[in-house]
Amino acid sequence: MKKFHTIFAGLILFMFVGNAYSQDLDALLNAETKPTIDYATATFKASRIINGHSIEQMKKKQLDFRISHRFGVLNDGGYGLYGLDHSVIHFSLEYGVNDWLMLGVGRGSLNKTYDSFAKFRLLRQSSGAKSMPISLSYLSSVELNSMKFADPTRTNYFSSRLTYVSQLLVARKFNDKFSFQLTPTYIHRNLTKTELDKNDIFALGAGARYKLSKRLSLNAEYYYTYNPNAKFLETRYYNSASVGIDIETGGHVFQIMLTNSQGMREGSFIPQTTDNWFDKGIHLGFNISRVFAL
Amino acid sequence: MLKKLFILILLTASVGAFGQGKFIAKNAYISFYSSTPMEDILGESNEAVTILDSSNGEIVFQALMSTFHFKRALMEEHFNENYMESTKFPKAKFKGTIEGFKKEMLTAPVAIIKITGVLNVHGVDKTITVPGTIGLQDGKLVATSKYKVTPEDFGIVIPSLVRDKVGKEMEITVKSTYLPYGQ
Repeated sequence: MKKFHTIFAGLILFMFVGNAYSQDLDALLNAETKPTIDYATATFKASRIINGHSIEQMKKKQLDFRISHRFGVLNDGGYGLYGLDHSVIHFSLEYGVNDWLMLGVGRGSLNKTYDSFAKFRLLRQSSGAKSMPISLSYLSSVELNSMKFADPTRTNYFSSRLTYVSQLLVARKFNDKFSFQLTPTYIHRNLTKTELDKNDIFALGAGARYKLSKRLSLNAEYYYTYNPNAKFLETRYYNSASVGIDIETGGHVFQIMLTNSQGMREGSFIPQTTDNWFDKGIHLGFNISRVFAL
Repeated sequence: MLKKLFILILLTASVGAFGQGKFIAKNAYISFYSSTPMEDILGESNEAVTILDSSNGEIVFQALMSTFHFKRALMEEHFNENYMESTKFPKAKFKGTIEGFKKEMLTAPVAIIKITGVLNVHGVDKTITVPGTIGLQDGKLVATSKYKVTPEDFGIVIPSLVRDKVGKEMEITVKSTYLPYGQ
């Protein structure tokens, strides 16, 4: 009986060690593979959702050359070829200094505006070894209206030309297809058009994208202004609303949209959208982004 | 009685020692390279993990897609988003055996070998036989391999739009320097 016990114990021991020996190489491999931090990439396809900034920015030493057009109102009719006769243009060069800082300069034909911005990446959504539910960036920009002063006889200051924009970009890529972003915005205008207009504008933007295929996505963007400009004579102001698609073709991203805003920078499309989706105020437009690795 | 127990312990201990014959490399190099007149694409990882079992010539590899890096940030994004679908298929794996494995292969300076096994990329299994070398270099066990794969074999579709930028075949280069496992 005792002998039986010994053999039994030995057998168990043997099986145990034997097991350890024949331990699946796969299991060993999995145990030895370090977990990595998996950052959410391509929350949006481009650095703009439609008009406004997205959480995306150029990586280190990448240069983005962007050309954008917004045509006249689509419901202008055949006489103006559905708005194509009147286009405003904006072009910009935007550069990734490093993986958390992007700088850009641009020029828009609407109000002959020069602009520059800096976008700082503060948090990156990630899973795996480090978990972070959202991405967070801060955008700061200055816009310079270079139109001739309306009244050259009075004392005009250079500072009157400037508009400052601050935005927090809070985004989450929920899954491979769906991403969402909230964009609290503060705009300060040194000089407004009329006394009725406020110098400080507060707005909240919301943007989303839904991927229809690997290279095609549907985007929507809305900016709600808490204290819009008062109606002045016949000019009324509306919240900016846009829908569009992104088409990606290797180094290019084409964004084609319908929007009620003709301006392409925060200082113009957030407080100064004067067309209305429900009353003949839709503009066709596009952004083209071409990325160069320097 | 004691004698029997002693033999048993010896027996199990020897089995344990036999089990030590594994080698591991935690920073193995894997690259894939595609060249066309339009564009050269090179993705590299220095964080692949591989284990070699010296008792039977079995060899396994595992690489996380997120460890592959490219010169151009956009290539890396497209690699993960459009081709490998890294969130769905985060790993590439290989499990194979060195054909006609002999222990002497591990002590020779360079032995020319063939490895047959299953490569899993993008969630698709494919049996491949690839050439390689193994041998003792500067006191370390080094294995290398270079072979070609076709993305379509792994269900990776290259759209016609970028067909002239992405090669029909990818050249895979593997180099791993092994250390005895458990040290």
